[in-house]
Formats: sequence, structure tokens, C-alpha cells
Amino acid sequence: MSATAATVAALTGRPRLGPKIDLPGILSTLLPGIVGVVGFLLLWQLLSSTGVLRLPGPWDVWMDERSRYLILHPFYYVSDLDQGLFWQTLASLKRVAMGYTAAAIVGIALGILVGSNPFMNRALDPLFQFLRMVAPLAWVPIALAALQRNEPAALFVIFMTAIWPILINTAEGVRQIPADYINVSRVLNLSRVQFFFRVLLPSALPYIFTGLRIGIGLAWLAIIAAEIVMSGVPGIGFFIWDAYQQNYVSEIIVAVIYIGAVGLILDRLLGLTQRRLVKI
Amino acid sequence: MNTLVNLEQVQKRFALPGGHQYHALDPIDLKIGTGEFVALIGHSGCGKSTLLNLVAGLLLPTEGIVLVDGDRVSTPGPERMVVFQHYSLLPWLTARQNIALAVNAVLTGLGREEREATVEEYIRLVGLQHAADKRPAEISGGMKQRVAIARALALHPKLLLLDEPFGALDALTRGNLQEQLMRICQEHRVTTLMVTHDVDEAVLLADRVVMLTNGPRSRIGSVLEIAIPRPRRRMEVINHPSYYSYRSEIIYFLSQQKRIKELRARSRAAVGRHGLEKVNLEIGFVPLTACAPLAVAKERGFFARHGLEEVNLVRETSWRGVRDGIAGGWLDAAQMPAGMPLWMSLGGGDAEPTPVVSALTLTRNGNAVTLHQRFLDAGVHNLRDLRGWITENSDHPPVFGVVHPSSMHNLLLRYWLAAGGIDPDRDVRLQTIPPAQLVANLRSGTIDGFCVGEPWNLRAAMEGAGYIVATDRDIWMGHPGKVLGVREPWSRNYPNTHVALVKALLDACRWCEDADNHEALRELLSRREYLSMDPSYIDLGGEGAVADVATGTTQKPRLDPVDAARYQCAHHRFFLAAGNRPSRTEHLWLMTQLARWGDVPFPRNWVEVLERMCRVDVFSTAARELGLDISYQRGAIDLFDGVSFQWDDPVGYLNGLAIKHDVYMAEVSLTRRDQAGPGVERAWSDVAAAA
Repeated sequence: MSATAATVAALTGRPRLGPKIDLPGILSTLLPGIVGVVGFLLLWQLLSSTGVLRLPGPWDVWMDERSRYLILHPFYYVSDLDQGLFWQTLASLKRVAMGYTAAAIVGIALGILVGSNPFMNRALDPLFQFLRMVAPLAWVPIALAALQRNEPAALFVIFMTAIWPILINTAEGVRQIPADYINVSRVLNLSRVQFFFRVLLPSALPYIFTGLRIGIGLAWLAIIAAEIVMSGVPGIGFFIWDAYQQNYVSEIIVAVIYIGAVGLILDRLLGLTQRRLVKI
Repeated sequence: MNTLVNLEQVQKRFALPGGHQYHALDPIDLKIGTGEFVALIGHSGCGKSTLLNLVAGLLLPTEGIVLVDGDRVSTPGPERMVVFQHYSLLPWLTARQNIALAVNAVLTGLGREEREATVEEYIRLVGLQHAADKRPAEISGGMKQRVAIARALALHPKLLLLDEPFGALDALTRGNLQEQLMRICQEHRVTTLMVTHDVDEAVLLADRVVMLTNGPRSRIGSVLEIAIPRPRRRMEVINHPSYYSYRSEIIYFLSQQKRIKELRARSRAAVGRHGLEKVNLEIGFVPLTACAPLAVAKERGFFARHGLEEVNLVRETSWRGVRDGIAGGWLDAAQMPAGMPLWMSLGGGDAEPTPVVSALTLTRNGNAVTLHQRFLDAGVHNLRDLRGWITENSDHPPVFGVVHPSSMHNLLLRYWLAAGGIDPDRDVRLQTIPPAQLVANLRSGTIDGFCVGEPWNLRAAMEGAGYIVATDRDIWMGHPGKVLGVREPWSRNYPNTHVALVKALLDACRWCEDADNHEALRELLSRREYLSMDPSYIDLGGEGAVADVATGTTQKPRLDPVDAARYQCAHHRFFLAAGNRPSRTEHLWLMTQLARWGDVPFPRNWVEVLERMCRVDVFSTAARELGLDISYQRGAIDLFDGVSFQWDDPVGYLNGLAIKHDVYMAEVSLTRRDQAGPGVERAWSDVAAAA
């Protein structure tokens, strides 16, 4: 690499600078994104100011007093139901974290069981395929009826939403372990524990992560929907519902931006972890 | 050598959906000695990997047992370490970690430091120090396979199992790895079983090559010992005198397997018509000038004229292919070297005796002994000169190529050498090489001379590779060359067809003999489906060509080699009326010669054998129906050395020969096992079972 750079420098006759910042390169990757976002905002502004959309445009959101306060004060706290958007989001995230963690643990464990045991697979697969088709919101009344309280019901909905992609992908990952790896571990007489940690898990890891990434997206989608339905719990979903009831459309828009951003960050975080852990 | 691996009657069947079974391996018996390197070779799907997996314990035999070091194999284990074709390295571990995983899991008796030292030792052994911390995705295929080999060897397995280890590598890398593997296996005395589809790899690496027939129901078709001394080096091995014969042995086996598959696919029912029992015939031939009668009978319509309307000529590259085709029953009839019917009937080549009969001598003469050009420079002009040369260069016995043990060329060459006081089994080496490969072998110096039929002698002379040192007229003028051979049961089941076939070929022989047809014949023979070469190489003699050349071994005029080849040669005779009759005296001479060199026992019941083999009755019927005069007189055969061969005392004749192999006598019972029933169908089921 450095040899190449040196050659290039020698050829072009330019002195080589210290740590090199590839400015045009960065620009060329970022620029299209920036253009896209700015274009979208302009279009939105245009549509709402001409009255085609009955929504406030981006400028109106910024100029609106309530929403500007929300944007500038994410950390204010008055009561559980009246607090800054950071806290609202955090409340939702906590729920997701709990439900999702449970889903990941149960999903991966069940997935490995189903993937490595054909009998269990035949016994459970139809059930899983059936359950996974049930929309997250359909679980809400069942969860409320069964658990009686909002908080555990919300966790249950997240769990039920996130578990299927994790479980199914894990099972597939285990099934897809190349026969060669299994033969190698058979020839080496690896113990079950060794096989699990040295072969099965690393081999299925890319599939597991695919499931986890799909799962986190779905969990985040589900919590918003669940909170909208289950009023009275602090969280960004309820915040939107509350704002809608009071016709604060600009507030809703700010909250939606939070939701999108958080979803994106969650996905990227998992992607980063995946790159760290998965070495295939 | 004690046996490490012992497969006894091992069979493998796989269950298929719908309750069917795939019978992959027929009973297999195989022993592998400690320290031996055995290669398994065969076409795709022949079950060679299945066999390897059975030894590894990754599969269990349906029947039979696999013993390794006396213990029954029931599970895989590290003492039978496998190197897979696709390396099977764990991609999330580095090269070192891959080896360490195996070492830590298996060599649990060692301390931590010893295990680490072992890992390092084997990384060094395969020369991968620089890549030890790279993951498989970051290194080349050859390096990956080296890691896999290091991983296997580090466990000190009793047995190393290699499943096409170099199949996915480029030629250069493969060559390097083969040498490394050979060195390591030899230094560590590792017993190795390797699956491969690469013939050169098998010959280079293995002590024994086990060839598997095509599946389903694969079995061991043949086993070849590779007696090339170790240590072997790639570039030296190919110069070993036996290298090409090993190689062609394996290639012959593989191509034969392919043909059996094709022929199996063809419908084989006998089509009867015009009072003939079978008009659809597969007739084997080897592309030589002597195949002229067959080519003419087909192309000029002589077969069709005699009612044989669906004749298919099967071009074989070697006489062995003809032999296997007749023995296996997928050829109805064939052009054969004169000695082959007897050789097959008496069980030559350690095969089961297959009674073959002959009712027609197709050609006479047409053979010569060719020597490499350098013998001419050394002044070798005749047999005496050759003997002198051999005495002077006794440390370099010349190597002669012959086309088949039962061919006239082999027998004439041996007779000629022996008459000159040269023992063909001690003073020279004889090697069986298909006709079409002789000139190339002569040019490359693999052989020093050969005895073969035209066009190869003329061609060697024209290409400047060699010169003719003796011809038929120097050994036995007018000897039988090629004959028509069919299995005895075939002749019994299709008697009218047999007569019609002889008639068609006699007509064709007569056409070939006519010098007016020679131009057309040369053109016909030069075609792709026959000799596939320029007509200038094909010489049929004709008017005046030989008339003026003096005969006799000592006073041969020194002609230019090409002229000598053209004019000195006793050219083929195709038609001699009575001379086309299968002669019992001549076959008796052949029988004595085959016995003389130890190919077959001399049958105590030789009269019976000859009576059954020479179908004079079929020939006579055919000739009478064609209105030919075939009156003849039985007489002695006079060969060039002045020894006269009489019909009445073959044993006395054999005893009187100075140079010979140990001759043994035996009562030969001509088997009658497939006497009943339609022969072809019977033979076919035999082929199916055999394949």
C-alpha cells in the first residue's frame, strides 16, 4: 500500500503529505446522501407550502414553538408522561432491550435445537411458521388479556415479533453447516461442547446475525405500534399518540425523526458487532 | 509387510427415496500394508470416495467389514485422518488455529507447550510460517491444502486418507504439493490411501493403483503395482522405462470403462433376417493396413451382399481392447492377431479361458522389425550385428515394443531374436504398446525398436525415426498375420451368420488383393474412421515393387531406409484362396511359441484344442459357396533359421529349442459354461455383472 503510494508520489512528482485525507473521496461518498436529504426537505417544503400536503413543512416544524422546544430540550423532565424526547425514546428502548434480549436468547437456543435435530424441526416448524405470520398488533389484545398489565404486555409483543426471524435464521444457519466441517469434527472426535463452540456457533453466526438484524428492526417497529395502542405508558409511541390527540402535528414529525434515527442506529450497531464477531 | 487396512467383502448400498436402493459398491476386498501408498482411481461416481469414507468411518458398510490395525472401523477417528478435496479448514480460524484445534482435541496426552511445539513443527514442515496467522480466505488454494495436510500429519495418524486432495489446484501448485506430500509420506512412513482421477498423479505417488469399475455396483477392476523406485521425482519418473506402460494401463482401463457404459446403453438384441440368425454385428478392428478386408467389406458392400445388413465396425486402439470386447461379449467378431484365438482359449494373460474360434485367415505378411536410427549409425544391419551390439552394451539392453503377447509380431520377433542367440526375456526387454503409439515411443527413445504390421514400419522410416532391419522374408515368408475370431458359443448360436461373415470377408480379401483396386484401397484406408493418416504412408506393394530385391539375411543391399521399407517389405497378402483357410499346422506352431515363452501352458490335448479352434468346416462351406478352389496340401513350415516345423511332434519340437521359458504342460478343459442359451444375452449378463 505504502509502496504503491510512494510509487504514485514518485511518478506524479508530488511530495507525499503526512496522514492523507482523501477529501474528494469522502465528498463523493457523502455528497449524494446530502443532496438526497436536502432535495427531500425542499420537496416536502414545496408540497406543504403549496397546500398539496396538509402537513407542516420542515421550516414550519422548526418555527413552531412546541416542536422547537422539543428539539432543543430533549432532556427536560416534568412528569413520566411529560418529558423530553430523549427520555421518551429511552423508555421505549428499555422495553425493546428487555423483550429483544429475551427473544434473542430463546430464539437462538430454539433455533439451534430445531436446526440440529430433524425430529424437533418436523415437530415445531409448522407451529413456528404459523405463529410468525401473526401481525405484532394482533398480539396486543391477547397479551393484555393474558397479562393484565401494560408493561409486561408490551414486552411480550416485542418478544413475539422479534423471535421468529432470529429463530428461523439460526435454524437455517445450523442446517447449513457445511458437511465438510461436520466431517472434520467427526474425524477429530470433537466433544459436543467443543463442536458447539468451535464449529457450530462460528459457522451459524452469519445467519444468526442476519436474524438478529431483522429482529431488531421488527422489535423497534412493534414497540411504537404497541405503545400507541396501550395508552398511559411513557415512551415514544405513546408520545406520538398523545400529540396526535392534541393535534400537534409538528411534534409528531419530530418524534418520527427520532424513531427513524434510533432504528438506523440500532441496525448499524448490530452490523458493527457482526463485523467484529463474524470472521467468515 | 504387515497389513494395516483390510477390507473384507465390503458392500455399500444407499437408500433412495421411494424405498429404492443404490448399490454403490459390490463386494470389495482390499489390503493395504503398513507404509504403503495406494491410489484409488476411477470415473466420477464409481464409488471411490465412498470407499475412502468407509475406511475413514464416515460411512458404515452395508455388508462386510473394514479393519484398520485389526480393529473394526465403526466411527471416524483421528488415527484415520482425512484430507478433504475442499480443504475443510474452518474459515474463522487462522491456519495455525486450524492446526491447533485438531492438535488440542486429539493429542490430549501432551502438555500445552508440547502441543504448541507440534503445531509449529508441522507449519514448518509444509513451509507455511509466513501464512500461519492468515485465515483460509486470505491464502491460496495450494496453501490451504498444505494447512489441511499439516493438520492431518500433526495428529500422527496411522493412516492418511486423501480425497482428491489436489483436484482443485492449478498444475504448477499440484506438482509442487505432490512432491512435498511424497517426501513427507516417505520420511514419516505414513500409510496413505488417496482418491484421485489424475492418472499421472496416481503413477507418480502410488505403490499400487486400485482401479474401480463404473457404478452402480462398482468393484475393483484391476490393481496395478507401480514398481518405480523411491524416492521419486516428478521429472525423473516420467523417464522411467515403465512409466508410459503404467500410464497407458490405467488410461486403457478408464477408457474401457467409458466404452462399456456406452455399449451398455445400446440395444443388443439379435436381429435375424434372410435366414441369418443375426445381421446386426459389432466387429472390432485395430487401425492397421491389415484391417483392409473389414473396411472394404463394409464400404464396398460385401457385408450387405451376403445379408449382413447392419454391420458396425468398432475401432479399437489396442489388441487388448479387441480381446476384452470379445471376452466381454460386446463384440460379435473381430480382426485378431493370429495367436489370439489360441491365447484366449488357453487362458493367456492369467485370464479365464474364453474359447475363441477362427474360420478365416485374413492377411499374411506385412510385418517387419524396425530399429531406432542410432542402431543404423552403429552399423547394425542384421541379426548378427544386433547380437554383437547387445553383447557390447549388455548394461543397456534394448527395449522392443510389441503390440500384444499373442500377436505374430511378438512371436516372430522372439523367434528371430532367439534364433540369433538373443534371449528375448533376458537380453532385451519387450514391452506391450498399442500400434499407433510405437513410432512416437521410438522417436522419443522410450523404446529402441519394434515389430509391427504396416503402416508403422514405413512411417517410422519416412519420419526418419527408424529403419527396417528384418522383414517377413527374413523370418517366415507368408506367415499368417491377422485372423477372424469369434467366441465359440457365438459360432454355435449363429452358424449361418458365421458362414456369411466369412464369405463377405473372403470376397473383400479378393478385392483387396487385386492391384487395380490398390489406389482406391489406399484412399479408403487413409480415411478418418480407419487409419486416419496420409495415403503416402500406406503402401500395398503391387507390381514390380519387390521383384528385384535380393532376399536373404546376410547379403541385403543397403538401401535408403525409406526405399528399404517400401521395397524390401513383404507386403500384405489378402487373398490366397486355400491360404485363407485356418491352418492347423500354423496354429500349432503358434501354440508352441505361446507355450515356449510361458504365456500359456502347452495343452496335452492339443489335437482337441486345435480341432475346435480352427473352424475349417465353416471356411470350407463359405469357400465352396463362393466357388473357390481351396485344395491344399499339409506341409511343414520352414523358417529362416532352417528349422522345419512338423505337425506331428510339437512336444519334441519344444524340447529341442535352446532358448525358451519354462514350458509347462497341462490338460486344458475348454469351458462350456455359456454353452446353453443365446450366447450374446448370456455374455451380456456376464458383462453387466462384471461391470
